[in-house]
Amino acid sequence: MSESDASKAEPTLVERWLQDQQQWQRTLFTYLDSMMKNDEFLMHMGNAMRGSLLAGKPYPTTPPPAAASADDAATADRLEKVLYALHQLQGQMQDVLMTLDEIRAGAKATRLKPDSTKKPARRARAAAGARKTGNRRPRS
Amino acid sequence: MTDPGVERELEAMLARSEQTRARLDRLHDVLTSGGHYGTGATPAAVVHQENKLRLLRLLDESGQPRTGPPVLFVPAPVSRYFIVDLLPDRSFAGHVARAGFDVFIIDFGTPGGEDRFADLEYYVDGLLRRSVRKVSAITGQTSINIVGYCLGGTLSLLYSAMYPSTVSRLVLLTTMIDGDTRGGIAWVAHQMGLAGESYENPRLVPAAEIKSWFEMLAPGSNSLIGRVNDLWERLDEPVDRLRDVRTMATWVDDVVAAPGRLLAELYQQFGPGRNRLMAGTATVGSRSIDCAEVTMPVLSVSAAKDLIAPADGVDAIRSLVPHAEVMRLPGGHVGIVAGRTALALWQRTVEFLMRNVK
Repeated sequence: MSESDASKAEPTLVERWLQDQQQWQRTLFTYLDSMMKNDEFLMHMGNAMRGSLLAGKPYPTTPPPAAASADDAATADRLEKVLYALHQLQGQMQDVLMTLDEIRAGAKATRLKPDSTKKPARRARAAAGARKTGNRRPRS
Repeated sequence: MTDPGVERELEAMLARSEQTRARLDRLHDVLTSGGHYGTGATPAAVVHQENKLRLLRLLDESGQPRTGPPVLFVPAPVSRYFIVDLLPDRSFAGHVARAGFDVFIIDFGTPGGEDRFADLEYYVDGLLRRSVRKVSAITGQTSINIVGYCLGGTLSLLYSAMYPSTVSRLVLLTTMIDGDTRGGIAWVAHQMGLAGESYENPRLVPAAEIKSWFEMLAPGSNSLIGRVNDLWERLDEPVDRLRDVRTMATWVDDVVAAPGRLLAELYQQFGPGRNRLMAGTATVGSRSIDCAEVTMPVLSVSAAKDLIAPADGVDAIRSLVPHAEVMRLPGGHVGIVAGRTALALWQRTVEFLMRNVK
C-alpha cells in the first residue's frame, strides 16, 4: 500500500476533529428540528431530566390563580360539599339503574326460557275440556 | 510535527466528544421513539363511569371484547392505573387478556376538590362494589376474579370480606397487611405527620406531598441532580432498555392527589400503632370486616426489595387468611408488576386464575 492510500484510509487528527464538529452540528440540528416539529419533545425531555409531577402533561403556561378570600373559600367549601353529595347520589342512582337492569334481564330470561310448566297446564286444560265435552283426541 | 503527548490528549478529547455525542443521539432516539408512557397500552372501551372513575374493558386485536372468565384489576387510587397496562409489550393486564380472560381495569382518575370528602366506604362499598356489579352484569358471571395492586389490594381485600360470594379468586399484589411493620410508605407518612390529617375537615392532599413521602423512601434518588446523573450514566444502554427505564420513572413521578378523608381513615385504621386489619377490628362505614369471610382462593405476592410495602408486612396475610398462597418474588414494588422480570408474576397470576376454571 502506498503512503497516499494510507493517508486516505486514516484521516488525520485535524480531519477527524472537523468531522466531529460536523457531527455535533448535525446532532444540534436534529434536536432543534425535533423541538420545532414535535410539541411533545420538550415535555418528554423535561420529564426525563427532572422528576416532574407534570409527567405526560404540558408545562403550565398560565399563572396560578390569586389566593381566594375567606368568603370565597367558605363558598367553595360549601359548593364542594354539595358536589360530593351529588357524586354520592349519582352512585346510588347507578345502583338503582343496575338493579332495574337486573330485573329486566331476569324477566326477559324468564320469558325466553322454554317453559316446561305451561305446556302441561295447557294440555291439562285441553284434556279437562275434552273430558267435559267427551271430544277426545285420537291417540296416534 | 505534533508532539506525541499533545496528540494523545487530542485523541482522548476526540473520543470523549464522540461518546458524549453518541449519548445525546441515543437520548434523541429515546425521546422520539414510540411507546411513551400512557400512549401505547392495550386498546380498551369505557364500559362504566362514576365521578372520576372509568371502568375499562380490554379489547382484542380486532377491537372486540374477549369472552373468557372476567378479571378486574384494581390499582391504587393514588397513582395512575397505567402501571398494569404500561406498554404493548409490558402489560400485565394485556398478558392476562391474551391468556384468555375478559379483563377489566379500574381507572380511579384524578380526584377534584370535592373528592376530599371521599372515605373508605365510598371507595369500597361504592366505587369498587358498583364496578364489580357492572362487570358481573356485562359478563353474566355472578362472581369474578379480582387482582388488587398495592392500596388497590387493600380495597379489594375489604370488599372480598364484605361480599365474598361475588369474588371467585382474589390476587393481592404488594398489599400491606401488618401496619406495624417498620419501613414502607405508611411508616414514612406516619413520620411525616399523616396523623395530623383531618377526617372531619379534610383537604385534598396535593400530589407533591404524597410524592415527597415516596421520595423519603430513597432520599436523593429523585432529585434533579440524581435524575440527570442517572440518565446520563444509563445513556450507553440500548434504546429499548432506556425507554423502559424512562417509562417507569415517568409513572413513578405521576402520583395523583388523594382525598384527605380517605388517607386519614386509612391511617387511623391500618397505620402504625393502629393496625386494625391484623387486630380484626377494621370497619368500612358501619360494617365490621371479618377476614374469616374471605373464603375464596387467595394469592398474595410480595416483592423482596419492596421499599413501599415491606415484604414482611405483606406476607402477614398468612395469619389473617390462613388458606392464602403466599409468594415472595425478587424485585421491587413496581418492578415485579411492570419491570423486565415481571413475566414471572404475570405467569404465576395466570396459573392461579386458571386453576379450576370450568
